[in-house]
Amino acid sequence: MAKLIGTPQKRKEDPKLITGNGNFTDDIKLPGMLHGAFVRSPHAHAKIIRIDVSKALALPGVVAVYTGNDLVGKVKSVPTMWLLPGADLKPKDRSALAQGKTRYAGECVALVVAENRYIARDALDLVEVDYEDLPAVVHQEAALLDGAPLVHDDVAANLALLWKAGEVPEEEFQNAEVVVKQRLYNQRVIPNPIETRGAVAQYNPGSGELTIWCTSQNPHIHRMVYAGVLDIPESRLQIVAPDVGGGFGSKIATYNEEAVIGHAARDLKRPVKWIEDRKEHFMATTHARDEVIEVELAGKRDGTFTAIRVKNTANLGAYLSTFGAGCPTIDFGLMVTGAYTIPKASVVTYGVYTNTTPTDAYRGAGKPEAAFQIERIVDLFAQEIGMDPVEIRQKNLIPAEAFPYGTAMGVSYDSGNYHYTLDRALDIADYASLRAEQKRLREQGKLLGIGVSTYVELCGFGPSKVAGAIGFQGGVWENSTVRVHPTGKVAVFTGTSPHGQGTATTFAQVVAEKLGIPIDDIELISGDTRSVSMGWGTYGSRNTAVGGAAVAIATDRVIEKAKTIAAHELEVSVEDLEFSNGIFSVKGVPTQSRSFQEIAKSANFAWNLPDGVEPSLEGQSFFDPPNFVYPFGAHICVVEVNVQTGEVELKRYIAVDDVGRVINPLLAEGQVHGGVAQGIGQALWEGAVYSDNGQLLSGTFMDYTMPKARFFPTIESHFTETPSPVNPLGAKGVGETGTTGAPPAVVNAVMDALRPFGIKDLDMPLTPEKVWRAMQTRGENA
Amino acid sequence: MTCKKNISLSVNGVTRQAEIEPRLLLAHLLRDELNLTGTHIGCDTSQCGACTVMVDGDVVKSCTVLAVQADGKEVTTVEGLGDMEQLHPIQQGFWEKHGLQCGFCTPGVMISMIGLLKENPNPTEEEIRDALEGVICRCTGYQFIVSAVQHAAQLIAEGNAVKETTMSTGEGR
Amino acid sequence: MKLEHTYTFDIPRDVVWKLIQNEEVLKKSIPGCKSFAQMDDGIYQAEMGVSVGPVKGVFTGQVQQVDQKEPSSYRLLVRGKGLPGEIDAVADMRLDEVGQGTQLTCSTEVQVTGVLASVGQRVMGGVAKMVLGQFFKSVDKEMKQLATHSE
Repeated sequence: MAKLIGTPQKRKEDPKLITGNGNFTDDIKLPGMLHGAFVRSPHAHAKIIRIDVSKALALPGVVAVYTGNDLVGKVKSVPTMWLLPGADLKPKDRSALAQGKTRYAGECVALVVAENRYIARDALDLVEVDYEDLPAVVHQEAALLDGAPLVHDDVAANLALLWKAGEVPEEEFQNAEVVVKQRLYNQRVIPNPIETRGAVAQYNPGSGELTIWCTSQNPHIHRMVYAGVLDIPESRLQIVAPDVGGGFGSKIATYNEEAVIGHAARDLKRPVKWIEDRKEHFMATTHARDEVIEVELAGKRDGTFTAIRVKNTANLGAYLSTFGAGCPTIDFGLMVTGAYTIPKASVVTYGVYTNTTPTDAYRGAGKPEAAFQIERIVDLFAQEIGMDPVEIRQKNLIPAEAFPYGTAMGVSYDSGNYHYTLDRALDIADYASLRAEQKRLREQGKLLGIGVSTYVELCGFGPSKVAGAIGFQGGVWENSTVRVHPTGKVAVFTGTSPHGQGTATTFAQVVAEKLGIPIDDIELISGDTRSVSMGWGTYGSRNTAVGGAAVAIATDRVIEKAKTIAAHELEVSVEDLEFSNGIFSVKGVPTQSRSFQEIAKSANFAWNLPDGVEPSLEGQSFFDPPNFVYPFGAHICVVEVNVQTGEVELKRYIAVDDVGRVINPLLAEGQVHGGVAQGIGQALWEGAVYSDNGQLLSGTFMDYTMPKARFFPTIESHFTETPSPVNPLGAKGVGETGTTGAPPAVVNAVMDALRPFGIKDLDMPLTPEKVWRAMQTRGENA
Repeated sequence: MTCKKNISLSVNGVTRQAEIEPRLLLAHLLRDELNLTGTHIGCDTSQCGACTVMVDGDVVKSCTVLAVQADGKEVTTVEGLGDMEQLHPIQQGFWEKHGLQCGFCTPGVMISMIGLLKENPNPTEEEIRDALEGVICRCTGYQFIVSAVQHAAQLIAEGNAVKETTMSTGEGR
Repeated sequence: MKLEHTYTFDIPRDVVWKLIQNEEVLKKSIPGCKSFAQMDDGIYQAEMGVSVGPVKGVFTGQVQQVDQKEPSSYRLLVRGKGLPGEIDAVADMRLDEVGQGTQLTCSTEVQVTGVLASVGQRVMGGVAKMVLGQFFKSVDKEMKQLATHSE
């Protein structure tokens, strides 16, 4: 069989998607199905005085209306699942439907269930809710001030958590030759997959079984959480993630709507569907980032870094989302030293409740913010001592021979060759010529900027004992079963839950190469808690590094068993057999052989198995990785800022990423493109905007700038490959490289362009207006 | 909302009749009444283009058209482009060049690009990027969508060249 | 959101003062006004159709006049509730004599919620300006008619 790992392969998942035969949540239609729609609070902070559902109930076609009071004792609040230890965490969970008070605009107040979605929408307008408006607080720093409105009466100063890690003696800064300080605002962004959230629930009143099809990145986590929320045994709750139209972290979280729809189906004994519209999605699905980061980097005049300390004031929104506590603490804090040898580091994170939509993971979850602050402060340090940003990086990057490298934050980077990857990017960009060009253009009054980022990120969470130590309420291992049918066709089960990554293809490449069978003989089964025994889903770039590793190990177990059976049939010892290209043959006697398909049949028929060997041919693995994996890369961005308008034109974008061993370069490059587009999106255009009274002003695609095709140049994507020693595939994870590497590369480029104006920093997004205003004041107010 | 209206339209070459509320959107007619769920809905403000279909050969966003407006017209959805036995060149382009990831926006994007290729059979990268203005893809960063459209243009051109050769030599059936 | 609007009436200030608080004038002048009735001294119950860009809806609410300093200023408190959201506004009305006429300056602080905020806010400044413009123009017309009749 030809080599498949490392080759570009067309995707197995595409035929159904390009012919309109996908099966997304909203495509599910069940007999007797009802439609739900949620009444949402128009206020960011208000007391609910009265709810009158009588007019809505009187509308023909309306079957039921539920309010918070109706769910007491039936649907519990949806718990957070990251109970960060040592941070005085004050978890506040969302009620299934608001009771007494609403704490952000868009919070669910009531559910209307009707015969079709149009009637449900009509009925929303007939539910009368009287509110008493309360003062709202939107920004995290304002929320910490004395006298700020309290989002939760029993959480003083709105402080949900205070997390500290690492220590740096004050003298490190007092005595340092150079200290550079900067306050950076990593603005709130909205993941916005093109498929919004939704759920279809069906209850069997006879068996007591409830099935919820929903837009989930991790159906087993959803099952575990909703089983508790709905008080139903996990064994009777089936969660299915059908085709899922993107997630980017927003479909990791467990939400109240899905649980309430499940309850409605159980209560009404009829299937119920709810599909979020985009306006709802903007308010109801998790947002991300929104962190004020103050960073200080100390070092020597020669450019050597000696210590870093970071303060992060993070906006968690009105409630603690599923993994909301982890993003600005563990995910962010462990990575603040970036790709550099910085001997001392400390982080403190203030997690703050506000009257806004809860924040949680978004493509990178904490790591992009970590990369952003270190990559920005490194540039400012270079500027301070008059050194080229590339040179200062080369001076401080962790050298290849230092791996595995233990950082000041206590984590161990698995493998890397940071200098090599940076050199590749410099070569591709022709850095020296770019600098010469910049000098020439500056003389003509043109503003060319070159930005570099040499990021590293933490992916593929593991081992599970670490998850336990940091309060993550779950395991981070992954499960795979490789099941061989009698014909030799193979079903691969995975506990990850892909939603666009192309996992059916990449995992098939791994299995097909190992088994020596065609890719088309392999089907991936995922996303259904009844098919897959257990698993933890797809997020944090763990799909290949952890899930793929489990697949590889399970496949090896299949081969091991098949070999025993083949040896028995060929009457030789296992040691005398070799397996290649799907054929078990006796060493030196190639004619004495059995094909994989023949052994598949033998194993399943079990007519002639060796003693002690059980029938069937199946391998299973529960792989718990010994460490995280650390993808890294060097991104170079070239921009030109229009002096008249402040517009930033992207001239070139070079991404050299090292994601360990690449399984499918075509798909890996696709992941880089998408990630870079989102990263550039955050740097230049995207941003959630709230009014002072907590109204989301960027609440539609008319107001929230989603990147469009014409915004981008061709992204020049390349890979270097430093395998990870942490898993048998040597893979690291590619999904989040772009959102991590791109924002600092772009902002560094724009700031580089604006140097003639003396502008050192501007908050993202770098909109034309912001850049133009800064140029008008020549950076005085910047 | 009780006054219902009968409409008759051709969808992917098949005549379909429906009794509908006048306010029903074409997107919902296709998805909920005719069970053609390949057309998706991604926003409420006609920005995302996931719902794009063709009505009498024009590219329209079916979430912005009332079903009654399609009465008597010919509608083409992704289901009508081609099947696995005979894919439309745009489908081939998207498959071969990895023009899709989650696949949710893809039906609308493909139809919108068929519209482009009808007007401009050999578009430049810049022209393709401009023509993608009416759609949003959150997964791909658009680059492989551009490659997919270029590939489709090439396939269409090759297909036309083959047709012309066959016609001029009188070969074929 | 803060808004300021100025309109000059070709009518003496004491007449403007009297008529601008006249129920009939207001009812006829408020754009989209469906009903307008005095409930209590200085408190009116109103129903009004509002259209802000793509957001349309009927709002019901109360308008209250306070801090009346005849003939130069008063304050309007407006609280409205409709399907697209809620409106909470405080408007300071100042009447200055300009020659024979009166210049009315309306300074408003408006808070909105719901779709009105998320979808409408972007275009609300322009719409509000237009609505206020229409309002004062109608008031002007109504006043002139009333003033003529009463003469």
